[in-house]
Amino acid sequence: MAPQSAIDAQDITDKARRDLLHLLEGVRGKKNLVIEKSLLGPIGLFVKFSTLQEYGVDRLFTLENRNVDTSQRNVVFLVRGEKARQVQAVADQIKQVRRESQQAHEFHVFWVPRRTLVSDQILEENGVLGEVNIAECPLYLIPLEPDLLSLELEDAFSDLYLRKDPTAIFLAARALMLLQKQTGLFPRILGKGDNAKRLADLLLRMRSEEDVEASADPTNTYQTGFGMTPSSTIDNLIIIDREVDFATPLMTQLTYEGLIDETFGIAHNQTEVDSSVLGPSPSSQASTTTTSASSTNPQNTSSAITATKRKIPLDSTDKLYPTLRDCNFAVIGPLLNRTARRLQSDYESRHKDASISDLKSFVAKLPGYQAEQASLKTHTSLAEEIMKQTRSDTFGRVLEIQQNLVAGGDVSACHEAIEELIARDVKLETVLRCLCLESCVSGGLRPRDHDNFTRLLLHAYGHQHLLTLSSLAKTGLLVPKQANTGYLNPMAGLANGGNGSTDYGAVRKSLKLWSDDVDEQEPTGISYVFSGYAPLSVRLVQAVVQKSFLAGLAASRNAAAAATTPGSNGNGKQTSPQASGWKGFEDILARIKGATVDEVQRGADVGASAAKLTLRGSAPGPKTTVVFFLGGVTFAEVAALRFVGKGLGQGRRIVVATTGVVGGDGVVGDAVERRGFGVK
Amino acid sequence: MSKPTADWERVGDRFYRKLQLYTSVFDQDLELENYVVAGAPFSGAVAIYRDEEKLYTYRNSQAAKPTIDIYSCAGKLIHRISWDKGTIKGLGWSEEEKLVVVTSDGTVRLYHDLQGDFIPFTLGHGAEEHGVNSCRFWTTGFVALLGNNQLVAVTRYEEPRPSLLATPPSDEVASWSIIPPAYTLSRSVEVLLAIGKSIMVVDASEAEDRMLENGPLRHVGVSPNGRFIALYTDDGKVWVISSDFQNRLSEYDSRVKTPPKDLQWCGNNAVVLAWEDEVHLIGPNGSATKYYYDSFVHLVPDIDGLRLFTNDVCEFLQKVPEPSEETFRLGSTSPASVLLDAVDQLEKKSPKADDNIQLIRPNLDEAVDTCIRAAGQEFSIHWQKQLLRAASYGKSVLDLYSSDDFVDMSSTLRVLNATRFYEIGLPLTYDQYLRLGPERLVNRLVNRAEYLLALKISEYLNLPTDRIYVHWARQKVRSSSTQEEDLCAEIVTRLKDKRGISFEEIASAAFEEGRSALATQLLEHEPRAGKQVPLLLNAGEDVRALDKALESGDTDLVMHVLLHLKKKVPLASFFRTINSRPVASALVEATAMDSDTELLKDLYYQDDRRVDGSNLLLAEAIEAKEMDKKMDKLQSATRYLADAKEFAFQVKAVEETQRLLKMQEAFEKDLGDHYTGLSVNETIFKLVSSGNVKRSLKVQSEFKVGEKVYWWLRLRALVGRRDWRELEDMSKNRKSPIGWEVSFGTNSDALVGRMLTRSEQPFFNEILGAGNSKLASVFIPKYTSLTPQERVDMWTKCGLIVKAGEEALKVKDVRMLEELRGKATGQAVMEIESMIGQLTKR
Repeated sequence: MAPQSAIDAQDITDKARRDLLHLLEGVRGKKNLVIEKSLLGPIGLFVKFSTLQEYGVDRLFTLENRNVDTSQRNVVFLVRGEKARQVQAVADQIKQVRRESQQAHEFHVFWVPRRTLVSDQILEENGVLGEVNIAECPLYLIPLEPDLLSLELEDAFSDLYLRKDPTAIFLAARALMLLQKQTGLFPRILGKGDNAKRLADLLLRMRSEEDVEASADPTNTYQTGFGMTPSSTIDNLIIIDREVDFATPLMTQLTYEGLIDETFGIAHNQTEVDSSVLGPSPSSQASTTTTSASSTNPQNTSSAITATKRKIPLDSTDKLYPTLRDCNFAVIGPLLNRTARRLQSDYESRHKDASISDLKSFVAKLPGYQAEQASLKTHTSLAEEIMKQTRSDTFGRVLEIQQNLVAGGDVSACHEAIEELIARDVKLETVLRCLCLESCVSGGLRPRDHDNFTRLLLHAYGHQHLLTLSSLAKTGLLVPKQANTGYLNPMAGLANGGNGSTDYGAVRKSLKLWSDDVDEQEPTGISYVFSGYAPLSVRLVQAVVQKSFLAGLAASRNAAAAATTPGSNGNGKQTSPQASGWKGFEDILARIKGATVDEVQRGADVGASAAKLTLRGSAPGPKTTVVFFLGGVTFAEVAALRFVGKGLGQGRRIVVATTGVVGGDGVVGDAVERRGFGVK
Repeated sequence: MSKPTADWERVGDRFYRKLQLYTSVFDQDLELENYVVAGAPFSGAVAIYRDEEKLYTYRNSQAAKPTIDIYSCAGKLIHRISWDKGTIKGLGWSEEEKLVVVTSDGTVRLYHDLQGDFIPFTLGHGAEEHGVNSCRFWTTGFVALLGNNQLVAVTRYEEPRPSLLATPPSDEVASWSIIPPAYTLSRSVEVLLAIGKSIMVVDASEAEDRMLENGPLRHVGVSPNGRFIALYTDDGKVWVISSDFQNRLSEYDSRVKTPPKDLQWCGNNAVVLAWEDEVHLIGPNGSATKYYYDSFVHLVPDIDGLRLFTNDVCEFLQKVPEPSEETFRLGSTSPASVLLDAVDQLEKKSPKADDNIQLIRPNLDEAVDTCIRAAGQEFSIHWQKQLLRAASYGKSVLDLYSSDDFVDMSSTLRVLNATRFYEIGLPLTYDQYLRLGPERLVNRLVNRAEYLLALKISEYLNLPTDRIYVHWARQKVRSSSTQEEDLCAEIVTRLKDKRGISFEEIASAAFEEGRSALATQLLEHEPRAGKQVPLLLNAGEDVRALDKALESGDTDLVMHVLLHLKKKVPLASFFRTINSRPVASALVEATAMDSDTELLKDLYYQDDRRVDGSNLLLAEAIEAKEMDKKMDKLQSATRYLADAKEFAFQVKAVEETQRLLKMQEAFEKDLGDHYTGLSVNETIFKLVSSGNVKRSLKVQSEFKVGEKVYWWLRLRALVGRRDWRELEDMSKNRKSPIGWEVSFGTNSDALVGRMLTRSEQPFFNEILGAGNSKLASVFIPKYTSLTPQERVDMWTKCGLIVKAGEEALKVKDVRMLEELRGKATGQAVMEIESMIGQLTKR
């Protein structure tokens, strides 16, 4: 049996790179690579274009552009095989190349992350299956950060909640199975939400199937014997179904990273910013460190706009970003100031004591300074640009509405404000976020309000948004109140024990979702990420890992309890969080929408597990809690979870895994109908 | 016991040994010289068939029927495939011991077990017209040479994709060989064709002439590790060169006129030539030895040696492995040989045993290691025991020695001896066993239906046993004629408490046999829902297949079944099937959304999902290019919803859309500007912007746009077109529905109290934002509820410092005035100062 290891992001990255390059190596000679657009970013995360070139990639195309040329004999497709549309596009491209080209071509298709029966069927119907070399590129979880793994499924949210297509759940289950093979079984699977239940069921089912699978696979080598034992490095898997907490992504994120996402958008650790923001001279430092596959190639239309847009990598390799990203935006200014001053003084220090050895050490540090300087410059410009946003009328207005709503304030005032926003023609997504938030928090809009707002929205943004609103209703984001219990959700009937909607009022109180006194400088609780609102999703995680802290919060709602650091408060009684699951919070969970999951996984071979336990000794090593966000996670929640993780102590940590990173605009934007009624 | 060195032969400075593995292998009547023999790698099975090109005496009709016979190395007939499919042009084995048969018309049959089950495929690429001449195999694929010298390569056997290699010249190929992809620089297979005097190297992209001068070449042979090439020239010489054609390594003159029948490598450092009954073994540097036989000899190369087959014997020829040489060589003084001697002495109870040990004391651990390794190389059980005994003795003297190797070797030897037994006939060497691995060994045993041995070995080595049971059950299903129920019960009782049994495979065997009732019964016991699906589909149990697919959670599988189902059953019953299965219908909807809206319409109609249906029509209206069509679609959308009360609102909205579009069309006609597609608000905005206020009012009343909204639109539109006059008129209104000031947050409770309570002045801000500070300032006095500080700020924003000063003066705020003085310029400085003066004076 393979030794159990902790989750190591670097390993996962390396493996992904190896897998892909190995596949490319298998295609002899130069090749043209055709990548699905949504895969460009994820692949850019772990392999550079120059590396691809070393492996014989001549030119890069995106599948959606349909412009593959015939310059190379080998044409390699790298496409997700789950969606019929993409497969059809591949078939069309192959036929097109065949038609246009005089010479014979060799076609290879690497399906990500797996080869599907449907893809075979479609290729066969198009008459190309016979001449295509097919392989799988098992790209599941990709680390964005050491503590943030993502499937990078762009459509996961709309697939799951709008179209009720559970593919993402299946892929998530596959990914988690792979993880379990590395680390050993998750000793306990906890979760909230109907989809979380489905995912947990799939995990259990897959585990029982894995026994058979392992032996039926002829390529299987010595003793992959998956009669796995529970992991010694992981204590819980907590699955949070996004549906349980739609409210959080709708809120405006107030961490630095969150605001960058809100303002410019962050995709695959990169944000694209108008070059005017950063000044005319692009600091070479920033642009050369990560030249992703997508940004270097001229054939690529996505980079055609780079003339005016600049890509900025945002990850932990940056000098300053890790310290900045999770801070509330209110403290970013002072932080940047302090950094600037420190850099200045460091830099000035060279004048003081100029012994040769001092000078030498200074010169050695010089590149570091320069990198830091460049990073400081970038972040200062970004922060300034964001500041412009945050100072605007609408931003403040929207924030006020949101905070009022989550704090349980007066709704009618909010309605007035929202009406004004509509009249002023602010971005549709912004308005929808406010309305959806109200619907989520109060279990639907009153029918009269609903009709009224529908009319206003249709008038202001066009009648095509009848479709938008219908999609939002299907997603469950924006519903009229009376329809709430039985709105059109075909899945709702499936989950037993799941209740229809969340009693926000009660949950707000018992989990203390709102706190008035938030110290952005020295945060004492997770609510700092939204300047007052504590995300429900993160509270649920705390209900597992920081029980006594949360219980203390709920019991005595005085500030004193909140002031004590969560770490010292939390560690007292939590000798074994794995043993307790949701214990103590069952009542509250019952008030939250969706099924509750609590499964303990034991090793198939009890003897082996016991032996392992004896070998390890009774002292448990550092444990990891894996939090899986089904349907997406926001940067603010990640920040909050990092904050929770810091408070856990004893070397315990939290690793966040998700189907993708989402933001409020994306959540509602998926539903928005982009076409209009115009005659063009 | 004969010395192990008895069958050693010195070739140059190396030793080679020829081990007799089995005797009386083939029937004496079998005319081996007329047969083609192909042996599987790793001492696997041997397939023979009658070479049609050779004459043979007619015996009786029975024997005339062509067959391919599969024997074990010991000559036990495993399976006989009767063959009537044309001339065999290639017979070879894969690493997995799959038999590959290639016929002259390019048909390939892949026999995946030794029991006659096969998968056919064709080579294509003109194989049919030109015919296959010959084939060369490597462990995972083969290359076929066609009649027109084209080369077709198959690089893998699961999903074979025959691909054409580069075109070589069409001259006659004297002989040829391949370098497997694993050993080439390009990682694709390379073919060496002896054409004319030289050799062409052909791979997927090019054919290159290597410019040799020694041709024509009768034989070309590539060493197992792909690094050396042996060539047999027309004048009876053997050349060994490196495979990059850079170095000539050795040369040997056979002094035989007739070219040999076969040339093969024996391991990586010797070449074997075979004539009818004479074998030359050529070591490095041209040294050689010769063996003579009574009858015809066939060569079967393996990774570390060579098997020789005659009617009587099966022999294994290999270089003596190093540990064996070290231990057994005559006059060897190596520690290992001393240790071996010591154990001899020990058995004789001679004190010399201890002397020996003392002699090699410093190297004792090394001696033990060597003995253990030498034991692995021995085929004779006696010597294995003797060597292990020596190792054990040496080990006992050592203070610290890890016995892992010893234990491993002992258990490995048990396994090897069991498989070498003549009834099994797998004479694996230790190296072959390491390369093959225990799993594949078990697999081979299973294919030979040696279930008991397979099970014993698996249990002994802690390997999973489920494959063995499954194979047994499949075989049982095939061969047994018992009643379905009884058979199922028998299999299930035998296997039910075993872990990881794939009943799906057993069921599919039953299904292939046409026993579908048994198949479905067996399938019930399959734990993996997903695996049951294909079989259920084949059995026509579509609905159950769908349920199982849904159970597995694999959406791909569900889609697969759905596509299958949609083709097969009428639409109505298709809908009925998916209706009760929400995930299935969601998937159908999601995919149909992209590709098949008609299907979707039918689905919604059947389900009476009116809003969805009408939304579909709305989407079509959006898509439609012409206005008439848009209107039609909108009309039908309303009709779709018409007779149900609960959709009244929706209906109204759609009707509104139509009205709006009509109005916009009219505007376009009248004003010659683009209007369709704009929203109501945008229309008003545009109308006001272009000065058509009357029309904008008409739109407002038609769609009952609220005053507030209208004012906002008007304000923004007017500011947009810099219509200051009109704005000023607006300012003269006593009241504004959007307020001169909008102060939000006044009614917010304590919770939001910590936020900035913002008050906002729409007119002021919008106008100021547009750059008209003068007009903006007109609005300032209208803001009555503001604090003085705010008003001062507003005046300042308009650049009217003096006015700001006055405001400050009113509340007698000296500090504020002083601040203003800093900002003021020119005349204003004076005035502010005088104001300060006023205040301070008092």
